[in-house]
Amino acid sequence: MSIARFSPFELLLLKSRSQVDTAKLLVLAWVLAHRQHVSEGQRRRRLAQISAQFRHGHELGPVMHIAQQQDLLAIQLAAEVIRKECSQEHSVSVMHQAITLATDSGELSLANHYILRFLADLLNVAPTTLSTLFQELTGQPLARPEDPSRDAYWRVHDAEYYAQQAREAEAHAAQQEKEKKRQQEEAQRAHAQAQEKAEREKARQHQESAQRQRQYERARQQRSSQYGQQRTAPPPDRTTRALAVLGLTPGVSQTEIRRAYRRMAQLNHPDRFYTGSEQQIALASARFQRIKSAYDYLMQNYL
Amino acid sequence: MRDLYQRLSVSPQASDEELQQAVARCPNSALRQDAEAVFAVEKRRKDYDQAHATLNDIGQLRARLGLTHGAHWQGDVANDFSRLPDQTASRHDELVDRVSHAVGLHNRWRGLRGAGLLIATFIIGTGVGIAVGIALSQTLGT
Repeated sequence: MSIARFSPFELLLLKSRSQVDTAKLLVLAWVLAHRQHVSEGQRRRRLAQISAQFRHGHELGPVMHIAQQQDLLAIQLAAEVIRKECSQEHSVSVMHQAITLATDSGELSLANHYILRFLADLLNVAPTTLSTLFQELTGQPLARPEDPSRDAYWRVHDAEYYAQQAREAEAHAAQQEKEKKRQQEEAQRAHAQAQEKAEREKARQHQESAQRQRQYERARQQRSSQYGQQRTAPPPDRTTRALAVLGLTPGVSQTEIRRAYRRMAQLNHPDRFYTGSEQQIALASARFQRIKSAYDYLMQNYL
Repeated sequence: MRDLYQRLSVSPQASDEELQQAVARCPNSALRQDAEAVFAVEKRRKDYDQAHATLNDIGQLRARLGLTHGAHWQGDVANDFSRLPDQTASRHDELVDRVSHAVGLHNRWRGLRGAGLLIATFIIGTGVGIAVGIALSQTLGT
């Protein structure tokens, strides 16, 4: 025997002229409390409207308050009273009222999906009866409740979030693309600069060799004018060019050629440039090739 | 709807960090993806918690009313939110008990009040009689 005081809903039930109606009122208020986008005043008016035929004979305020608080024990008591006192036809009418209240605004909220099903189980309404009733009242079939514990639900209901995420990802990708393009441009510019430099180098070498040629010519002229004698056959052009590649003038000895070749080969060996760019390595190896072929040529044909 | 808290074996009051850890630990990749989607955003967790609380209440009610195997209580929801029937007796029976207890108390009080009235009049009567007797004897003595 409990010595607790009577709860507000028990007092209401005891004062009520019709216990079933009070219990129905609480259950309907519970359904209303789970409807979304409805103000307190609208709820109260709607409840008063639907309970016009009820014979409870007390205020609606306390019932609304209990339903708002989700007082589980009160709802359990109401459910027991309803189950005890409701006949078959009566229970269909309760279902009817609950469905009307739950779908006034069109959309059946997730909580009300489960509350209506609970009421149907409580009142022994079969699933087919419930879906027929629902179809008749709302013109729409009773759908399965949606599942907010799944990813798919949020992809539909929070589409904005995903759209924004997609936009952010896109922006990020665009930025990366831009960065990549910039890097490519930079690489191209570096490449162009390296090429230009190589060309300049080539031009300089060319100029040097021409200068050497001129010097040589001058020296020869000087010599010829000095000694008054003339070379019958000037050295073949290729030999001169090969000697110029090694930085020498015609008339040097074989040992001098070898020493010059060694020095030039060391200076221009591609392995010296392995830390540099590929461009540098390629240029160095081209120079090295030229030096080596010049040296080979001279070794075979000079003197 | 499934009870993600139960499936991740964390309490519904767990903080966000605990929840993230539990999600990261979860070996089922499909469940992990769903849990990440639900708990990624503050508002979603709030919405989910609301639905979770309602379903908990309904599960409890069904357990107490013996409706855990109803035709409308199937699938994930029934698996995750059905509670074992607890020892809470029928609220209606309890109400009837309490009302009859209160009625008994009331009747006893009424009965006691009748007897008490009798006794009180008797005591008052004797008191008045004694007082009158003492006063009389005093007037006669003088």
